[in-house]
Amino acid sequence: MTSENNINVMPGAIVCEESKLDGDITIGSHCIIHPAAIISAEAGPIILGDFCLVEEQAKIIHRLRPEQTNNETTPVLIIGSHNVFEIGCTVEAAKIGSNNVFESKCFVSNKVNVTNGCIIGAGCKLIEEQTLKNNTIVYGSKCFQREGLDRPVTQTAQMDTLSKMLPNYHHIRRPMKKDYLN
Amino acid sequence: MSYIILPDVVHYACTCGILKPISKLYFCRHCLELRCGFCVCHEADSHYCDKCAENLPSSEARLKKNRCGNCFDCPSCHQQLSTRAATVGPKNPDDPKAAPRKVFYLLCLLCRWSSRDVGIPDQAAVSGGWPERENIYAHRLQEIQDMYKAIVLSDKQQKLDKDKKKQRRYMSFTDRTGITASMLRKRIGWPDVPNPLLKAKPTELNNKAIAKEEVEEFPEDLLTSPVNLSLATTMEQRLVQPEWQPTTIDKLFPIHKHLSVKRSQRCRSCEHNVSKPEYNPNSIKFKIQLFAYYHIPEVRIITVEPLRAGKVSELLLKFSNPTQHQTSITLFPYKVDDVIACEDNRTEVISQSSEEKGSGSQPSSITHTSLTRQPSITIKPRPIKTRVVADVVVPNASFVLPPRDDAAEYDDSGDAHNIQNDPKIVVWRKSNKAVIKLQVTPNSDLNIGDEVTTAFTIQHIYINTITTVENKEPQKCEHKVKVFLTLGNLVGGS
Amino acid sequence: MPIYEGIGTITDKLVVVMDIGAAYTKLGFSGEFAPRCIIKSEVLCKESGIMRNIRDYKDKEDLYDLLVDFVHVLYFKYALLSPKDRPVVVVESLLCPTIFRETLAKVLFCHYKVPVLLVVPSHLVCLATLAIDTALVLDIGFSEAIAIPVCHGVPVIHAWQALPLASQAVHDNLRTALATHNTGVTLSDWNLEDVKVRCCFVTPQKRSIEFQKSTPNLTPCPEVKYPLQGSNSIIIPGKVRETMFELFFEEDNDHQCLSTMILDAILKVNVDLRLQLAENIFLVGGTVMTPGFKARLKEELYQQLNNERYSKLKIKTFKFHSPPCKDNYTAWLGGAIYGCTELLSMKGLSRETYLKENRLPDWANMKDNLRTL
Repeated sequence: MTSENNINVMPGAIVCEESKLDGDITIGSHCIIHPAAIISAEAGPIILGDFCLVEEQAKIIHRLRPEQTNNETTPVLIIGSHNVFEIGCTVEAAKIGSNNVFESKCFVSNKVNVTNGCIIGAGCKLIEEQTLKNNTIVYGSKCFQREGLDRPVTQTAQMDTLSKMLPNYHHIRRPMKKDYLN
Repeated sequence: MSYIILPDVVHYACTCGILKPISKLYFCRHCLELRCGFCVCHEADSHYCDKCAENLPSSEARLKKNRCGNCFDCPSCHQQLSTRAATVGPKNPDDPKAAPRKVFYLLCLLCRWSSRDVGIPDQAAVSGGWPERENIYAHRLQEIQDMYKAIVLSDKQQKLDKDKKKQRRYMSFTDRTGITASMLRKRIGWPDVPNPLLKAKPTELNNKAIAKEEVEEFPEDLLTSPVNLSLATTMEQRLVQPEWQPTTIDKLFPIHKHLSVKRSQRCRSCEHNVSKPEYNPNSIKFKIQLFAYYHIPEVRIITVEPLRAGKVSELLLKFSNPTQHQTSITLFPYKVDDVIACEDNRTEVISQSSEEKGSGSQPSSITHTSLTRQPSITIKPRPIKTRVVADVVVPNASFVLPPRDDAAEYDDSGDAHNIQNDPKIVVWRKSNKAVIKLQVTPNSDLNIGDEVTTAFTIQHIYINTITTVENKEPQKCEHKVKVFLTLGNLVGGS
Repeated sequence: MPIYEGIGTITDKLVVVMDIGAAYTKLGFSGEFAPRCIIKSEVLCKESGIMRNIRDYKDKEDLYDLLVDFVHVLYFKYALLSPKDRPVVVVESLLCPTIFRETLAKVLFCHYKVPVLLVVPSHLVCLATLAIDTALVLDIGFSEAIAIPVCHGVPVIHAWQALPLASQAVHDNLRTALATHNTGVTLSDWNLEDVKVRCCFVTPQKRSIEFQKSTPNLTPCPEVKYPLQGSNSIIIPGKVRETMFELFFEEDNDHQCLSTMILDAILKVNVDLRLQLAENIFLVGGTVMTPGFKARLKEELYQQLNNERYSKLKIKTFKFHSPPCKDNYTAWLGGAIYGCTELLSMKGLSRETYLKENRLPDWANMKDNLRTL
């Protein structure tokens, strides 16, 4: 849909140049986007909150559901803060809150609303229309759901290490100047 | 070994009549027979926890009900729980010197169940003193159990007394020698030492359960309140804790990890071990490993021409000799009825040495344990059911396989062994391996697409290095084994 | 017989107690108050790679192989001992097929070289958990419900009642009911059991009567959205949740159902014992644990008393026992209590005897009933 890419990177974010970013994307401060991560704003802008971690081969795709395509207004996919997208996950969820973990190779379709503190376990596929309650944990080959007591712990140590290591070995996309923001 | 993933196309007939690939067979060096997992006697060797790899003596394992004291399984998804540390504020926040405390809780990394979910307090030590639960009926059941023990015992005593009265007429052996103290006591008219369980008279009356008219009432809220599936436990979650069988997830408690056991295998007819692992759970080595793979020539299919009903196809097989001794291989056609033909074909020397086995030539440990062992029953070998639907023309001549030499793999200088090859049989040869050409003819009544199985018997020279008292020299013997080959499906056309 | 019969030798004996049920197998040791494990009675078939229930055998040889594999799992995965050192107590139903018990004995004695085997009837040993000797025992397991009165420690076999009203019937019922509500969805056996366990219950009698009317005047319990693998989900209507167990209480063409089974069994017993049995009803088996089941059965029993068939029983009250354990392993627990007594050495069948006789003692065999004739 979008021919030109309009990428806004907030200060403090580390976005590797090898990552594939298509469309109108805003990346919050202190986010880490690994090389070969794919963020594709097909249907409308994506706004990624602060402190998000998008690992290799993770795909975040803003894809419209068939019934929404005729609408005049273009919806914006707002992703909350402190989300972790692990290696090889594919996330097309319509709404994503904060503090969620999408584990390796999971798949979340665009009919799913993810609230806060959810964990989608490795390899789990969520296709059906549903809204995950706060702190829902999906796990196992049969996609069992249970409610956690608390949201998952934030991976601050991992983020710190990555923010030191990644710039040493990869080209980093320049964040926007602070004065430009103001 | 490539056998783990490849389809099993070459099967060996075990002595018990089951067809198995060579990787799943044992070879008992004492009876010179093939054995498989079905026809050996399995024994539990050593207990260990597969999480912390700790070896537990069997008495301790029994005491702990076969469970590890330190490791836990998740009650929700049955994966292993890991201990997690968290820092909390010091006990008295006013004291500026007090360092923050570390506390530990259990967390499942698959379903994120944690010991905090069900309100188990965090522990101050890593290993925890995690609260254990008791069976609420334990006291009552202990009473019942003691009561039944007492009843049965008094029954038995009565029977014994009755028998004794009957026996009075005869002079028993113990009467003459007057051995036991109990006998002596009887003689001089003292009362017999009562069994401690007999002292307490069976108190049946107080113990009986009383039936009630009331039963569990129907839970009315089932009709109105919506069901939250994530709060109700599944069958697996209930049954993994048989004593409690929680129906809601707030009653799930960590489960002590179940132990595993290392097994040793023993030949049923001669009671020697065919496989015995080392005790250390960290070790994957064996003390004894008599796998057929190390003793019996291995057959692999190289190629087979397309199979047509009634037509001759060429079949190339690779034979390799795994032993340290040269062997000679002769092929015989497969006969359905020669079930235990190899039994009779043994050389004189062998049958002598097998006779000796009973005469105390074994190490003391074996003779000692065999005292308590009951006579083994031989289970009749089963008839082999696999249908052989193709004929193989076997060569009359035998061929020689040199011993295995690990260094030869890296030696390009060619074979040192001067072996005269019959070019009609042997197509190719390198170190301990040889490729043999055979003619196979599928039966003419087969349909297209049918699976073609053929079979033949190989006889090879086996050098038995086990020395006995009388025979210090390694002995040569001939061993026969039936090999079944699944060659593929029949194709049509000419 | 050992010379020293102190308390030490009794407690030292570790006896394996197994109750191989149609769906679940209970395994543990004597002297303990709960089985070590309750596992599905199925084993991985090496040829086909699928799990096969050990009751789905083709012939005797097939059953032998299945049991060899299954007992191997029991010993080396759960009990963790060498089978040939330990006596075994097998808890089995009195109506267990001969081929099954004989093959099991053959497997234990010939293949695993078990020294002593004691086979105890499940209906009788259940009572050991209550320390009583007279009761009407109704065992509702996976494939069938069996009622046998036990009087003064003797099962009255001629009064037995059996109907295929158990878990399996509920599963079949549930499968058809859910198929009509959710087209195109096939549920696995695992899902069916899960739906049954987590969603279904036995509704009270007055609601059940209302449901049978063409226009029920009641609001069914809330429906449940049951997720299947995250990609799909089915709706389980409230009526299905409530009425799945109704087949237990609906009289069939022969006017038989669970409540009549109990009463018919009582009818077949001597007049003097009838009242006592009615006041000692003991329900065992996993299906009994369904919420609301016991309350409903009680209602049904009182209802049946109005029936002409049973009015001559003159029963005023029914009383029920509750065991000191979970209902699904009561029979096992009874076996465990029997296993720790001297009964094992008195009545147990030793390997030598078995090899000589080559058969198990059986109540149905006249050879074992010679003395009483």
